[in-house]
Parts: sequence; structure tokens; C-alpha cells
Amino acid sequence: MQAESVSSPKRGMAQLPLAGCRVIERSRSVAAAYAGRLLAAMGAEVVMLEPPEGSELRGAPPLLEDSGESALFAYLSLGKRSMVCDLEDGTARASLMQVLGNANIFIDDTPVAQRAALGLDPDSMATVFPHLVHVSVLPFGAAGDKAHWSAEEINLLHSGGEGFLLPNGLANELFPDRPPLKIYGHFGSYQGGCMAAMSALAAWWAAPAVGGQFVDVSVQDAVLAVGAFALQRLGDGSLEHRTSRRFRYGGVFKTLDGYMELLTLEDRQWRGLVQLLGSPAWALDAALSDPLERSRRGDEINGHIREWMAQHAVDDIVRRAQELGVPAAKYRTPEDVVQGDHERARGLFASAQLESGREVELLYAPFQFHCSPLKSESRVPALGEMSEEML
Amino acid sequence: MISTTTTERTTTATMNRDNAPLAGVRIADFTIHAAGPFCTHLLSQLGAQCIKIESQTRPDAFRKPHAVYGRMTAATFDQVSANKLSVRLNLKNAEAVEIAKRIVAVSDVAAESFRPGVIKRLGLGFDVLREVKEDIVMLSLSSCGQSGPDSHFAGYAPLFGAWGGLGWMTGYADGPPVEMRHVMDHSAGMHAALATIAALHQRRRTGMAQHVDLAAREVASAMIGDALAMASAGFTPQRPGNSNPSMAPHGVYPSARADRWITLAVRNDDEWQRMLQALNVQCDAPHLATTQGRIKHAHVVDELVSQWLSRHDADEIASRLQNVGVSAHVSWNMQDIADDPHLRARGTVTQVSDDDVPPRPAVGAPARFSRTDDVGIRRLTPALGQDEDYVFGELLGLSSRQRADLESREVIL
Repeated sequence: MQAESVSSPKRGMAQLPLAGCRVIERSRSVAAAYAGRLLAAMGAEVVMLEPPEGSELRGAPPLLEDSGESALFAYLSLGKRSMVCDLEDGTARASLMQVLGNANIFIDDTPVAQRAALGLDPDSMATVFPHLVHVSVLPFGAAGDKAHWSAEEINLLHSGGEGFLLPNGLANELFPDRPPLKIYGHFGSYQGGCMAAMSALAAWWAAPAVGGQFVDVSVQDAVLAVGAFALQRLGDGSLEHRTSRRFRYGGVFKTLDGYMELLTLEDRQWRGLVQLLGSPAWALDAALSDPLERSRRGDEINGHIREWMAQHAVDDIVRRAQELGVPAAKYRTPEDVVQGDHERARGLFASAQLESGREVELLYAPFQFHCSPLKSESRVPALGEMSEEML
Repeated sequence: MISTTTTERTTTATMNRDNAPLAGVRIADFTIHAAGPFCTHLLSQLGAQCIKIESQTRPDAFRKPHAVYGRMTAATFDQVSANKLSVRLNLKNAEAVEIAKRIVAVSDVAAESFRPGVIKRLGLGFDVLREVKEDIVMLSLSSCGQSGPDSHFAGYAPLFGAWGGLGWMTGYADGPPVEMRHVMDHSAGMHAALATIAALHQRRRTGMAQHVDLAAREVASAMIGDALAMASAGFTPQRPGNSNPSMAPHGVYPSARADRWITLAVRNDDEWQRMLQALNVQCDAPHLATTQGRIKHAHVVDELVSQWLSRHDADEIASRLQNVGVSAHVSWNMQDIADDPHLRARGTVTQVSDDDVPPRPAVGAPARFSRTDDVGIRRLTPALGQDEDYVFGELLGLSSRQRADLESREVIL
């Protein structure tokens, strides 16, 4: 393969935010793969290195039940290119070095202990590629006592403090004796991936002044960063716990036909809520005009709200609540989201072709650029599609 | 190592260190609540100079008590406003809006997180700001985005998770959906920071302005991208709780101490055997010898593992399992995190203090950079209007007399 071919923006991509940005991604973890995915969505050329048997993520659940294809891999690899690269093989390794020489960013989740033998340790890389931004993405980072520790999503979410705090509210009330709960899927790993992508672009921003550099990103750090308020609370003298971590009133409510979330922080929102509930006598108690008193009587208020919610349909409640300026939302299923009018209007999904040829719709990017809209169609790369170019 | 950050509430000139990745970038920060401020906080940690614009009549949420959270007084230290400069502008006043435009004119980024339409009504919409600064990068972060039928919806973090589907997919399989808290705000803020830096790169390359539109609910949807793919293909994703379809054991298990839990993820048969050895237990059941068998009998496996682990100290057994290459970690509370030498050594957890803030832990550097290593918290939340000498005086060139006049007329308020 000619290294230049990696660097040439595809037709139509030249106007995208990251046009001309060349990224090589060596990923076994969701975090590293998501980092590359975010950069690819914004127009970077992302080449995903895979072992000859393919990335483990190609077989990661959930799998489409009929074809056995991984929905997770489809989501994570959209818009990337695949290059088979067995680092034990000298020829493949030489090709990788050629490609890296023409790249701006290298995303790498190779375990620390394996890096030196593969020539991927930060010092070697900095010597050979002084202008490359080398981003390490590991569960606990590349430095520190736990740099060698192994982790999956469930370990990471709990090592960063958020897992211990879930579930709170209604689920905790219903099942107080059950173990803490993880957030669905790979939430913590996605934070790590986003942090890696953000840090990569920050280091690339500095490259004209300082050249390339090594960036050490930890998924645990990222989970803690998004959960920073709990550490802030600790400094205030409050050790949060899932049993007590709840809004004094509001939260998850069961309705006649579903679930909804309600949260009023402002006085005007409370007044809207009273109106929504039909201005019942209990809510007109003058003492409840004081937010502190409402907070003290939160359980009592929630009891009344629950009773009312159970008698009404969720869509009706939410529509009326939003009309009254009351923050309320339906707990929507994935089907609701995929079919949502709002999502359709905003073009959230891209038509994507899987390796089997099947068409699905995938969430393309969780942000929009109004002056240069992101492209809306893409495909999931076949294993080693670039191999012939390599030869 | 414990690092200490001391505030510099009387100093302004040292805020933008040269040796940070985003040194030289300036942000006019109109963001409110948590998601937007966390975005600009991250950018400021990476070296951008961030000018926070608020007023006595509309102060930052953290300058006020929030009783519904059980916070009966204002926060003494606010994680998401650290590093920022503070100026007062009463944006209901046309003169204040003109001054805000002058701040934007000397900035690279303008960030806001009002409900869609508000910034335009204030006279600070993208079209106006582009006239003021032709290559401005504007970030608009909102619940539901700047377009679409729900764009006017009011919302906070738990609603983002509900709208986006993440709340539905999270929970015990037989229970209700679960509300996401601040992590949802901050996840949106981090994605916004990423997109903002991307837009800066685009500006550097093309000279063009950009308007980044981030909907927090769409970040929640991005967290269930695989489930959305399943739904798109005609399948109905199920709420899995703590289970994983390709690993067993996989979950959160009790230890010898009450409410001290161990998280465990065993990927394959080899790790299963190593785990048995580390726990010094035998399991001769042939149907549990393979991953497939253990997944099929996950409830049996969970009961066995719970029995085994409940005899152990959580911290000791997590280390022992890690020593044999098995993914395990204690379910940590914030005290564990504050005390952790690993996180302290990395600068992820730092110690901050000020005259009215006793030493306390805070989340510091988001990542470690080998060359531009001056990242993290440099000073704590500024007092309201603390940096007006620098911003109004040095940056905009307003004289003391002009500023006094603007204050007397409540333009600066």
C-alpha cells in the first residue's frame, strides 16, 4: 500500500471538520474503538488495524440474531477502513511503520507489558515518529500502580465510582437488597473513548508548536471525570450512596402505560407541575411555595404524584407537562428512538451496509456541524479490505 | 503524591499557561447549569482561557442552593467552574450585549447552553457573532438540539437519559428503568468539548466559522448505539442488568463486609480456572467448565461465586484476582477514590484549597500529556466579577470611569 492513499481525503469529505486528519487505530477495547469512531464521524481517515483472524469486537454482543453479525462492531467501525496487520510478521510491521509515518494520530490500547516488544512503547514511537500524537487508551492508564490491571466495562464503571451509586430512586426502593447495577452497555468505555479522542485533538492542536507527543488516557479517569460531582459532594462532607442519592421529589414514575422522568428545579416549574396535576388541595398548601419545605416533604409529594401518574398515559403527561414548562420525559425504548420524529428530523441515523450486505441504520454522530454537515451514509469495513492495496 | 492547587483569586494574568495543549485559545462562556460548564471546564483544563459571563440577577447555578438535590446552601467549591475567569454582564441590557460581543470578538469560541432560541433573542445568535468575529466557533449545547420538533423541550440530565433510550436499557431486567444523573450532563459536555476542538482544527485549516449543535439526549442515544442498531434491524433489545451474554461469571458480588461489593468479569475458561485457583475453591461440575455452559447456567454460577467471594475481603481478593489476570475491582465509593494512590499519582484526583475552602479532593487532569503537561485545575471557582480588571480593562480597554458608569447603570451587574 502507498502510505499517501491513507492521507487523501475521500471525495466529499474535504469539507468535514477533520478532513486530512489521518488516524491509525489499534483497538481491542470499546474505548479505543469509540475514540476512532468519533474521529471518523467528523471526517478523519481512520484505519483500524486488525489481526488476521479479525478484531475480537467483530464477535462482541449484541449479535443480530439471524446473521450473527455484531451490532456493537457495526456501530463502532462505521466509516473506518480495515487493515490486517500481524505485528509478529516483519512485512506487516514494516507496512505499519510506513503508514504510521504518514499519520497524525495513533490510538493504541496495546497492554503496557506488550508495547516494548512490538516497538510501540512511547519512547520508541517518539524517536521514530516525532510528529505523531500517540494516544494510549487503557483501563487504568499507562502509568501508575494499576497500569497493568485488566478490566471490562463492569469493573471500570465501579472503579470510577458511578457503579456504586446505581440504581438510585425507584429501582433502589423496589430492590434494596440487590447488588449495585451497571449502566447499560459500555457507558464508561465510551467516556474513555471520548476523552481519548478529545485529548488526541488537543495534542494535535499543539503539534505545530511542540511536535507530536504521548497522551495517556485512562477509562477509569474518564468515568471519574463525568462523575466529578460525587467527589465534590465528598468534599462538602457527604459520602453519596445509592439509597440516599435521589431527588427529594421527582424521579422515575410509573404511569398507566410506561415510565417517565420528572424533575422540577425552579419555582416556575413547580407551579407548572401543580397545574399539570390539576391543582389538588395538597399541592396548594401555602407552605409548599417554599422550595426548602418542598424538599423536606419530598416523600409526601412523591406519594401524591405517583398516585396521579398511575392513572394517566405517559405520552399525554409528557406533552402537557412540556406545554406547561415542566421538565418531563418518557423513558423511550430503542425502537422509540430509532423511529422518533425528532431523531428523523435531525438526521441522527445513517444508512449503513454491513459486511453481509445487509442495510441497517446506525446513529452517526451525537453532534452536528451546521456549516459543514457530517455525511449521512457509510459502511462497515470488511476484514482486511486494504490488504490488496498493501501488497 | 498529593498535589495542592491554591487559588489565585486576585490574579488574572497567569490563567493561560503556555505549556498546555490549548494555550492561546480563548472562550466566551455563556453556559449554565452543568453540561455546558463541564465542556468549557474541560477545555480550560487543557489550557484554554475561559471567560465566564453571568450576573447577579442570573448567577451560575452553583452560586445558589438547590434544595431538590438536598443542597440547602450554595456550594463552596464548584468543580465545573474551576479555572475560569468571571465577569458580570446583565444581558437583558443592550449595552451589556454589545460588551459581550466585544468579548466574543477577541475569543476563538463562544459557548452557550440556553434553551434553543434564547441566545438569539439576547442578540447573540450565531449569525450575529459571525459578523462580530468571522471565524468564530460557536457551541450550542441543549437538551434536544437546535432543530427538530422537540427542540423547545426543557430538560435536565435524567431527562436526557430517558429521551435517549439509555435510561430504558439500564436497570434490573425485571425492574423499572433507571435515571442517569450528572454523568449524563458531563458525558454531553465531554462530547461537546471534542466537537469544539474539531471545529477549531477545521477553522485553522479553512478559516471558516462553525456552529456546533449538541443535543444531550443524542449523547445518551450514542451510549446505546448497539441497541439502536438491533432495533433498526427489527429486534427488541432487552435490559440485561449486570449480565453479559458472552461472559460468566460477570457481575457484582458480595464480599465478607456488608455493602462492600466485588465486580468480576471472566472472559474465558482459562480465566475461570485461574479464578478458581486464586479463590482456592474446586468446581468439578462439567457443565460449568466451559464459557457456554456457564452462560447457560449463569444463575448457578452467580450463586456459587457469591458464596465463594462472600468469604473474602473485597480489596484483598480483587488484588489477588488481578495478579492472576482476572478482571476484578471493588465497587468503589468516593472515599475509596479520594484515598487511592494510583489516582493521586496520575493527578486524576488532586487536592484543592483556598482561604474559604479547606483542603478537599477534586477531579483534576483529564489526561496526561508528555510535552504539554500543564493540564488540570489551576484555581478554584472565581468570585462573581473577580476578573473584570483583566477582561474589561486589559482585554477590552475600558477605563475605570467607563466601568464605574456601566456599573452605576446596571449594565455591569
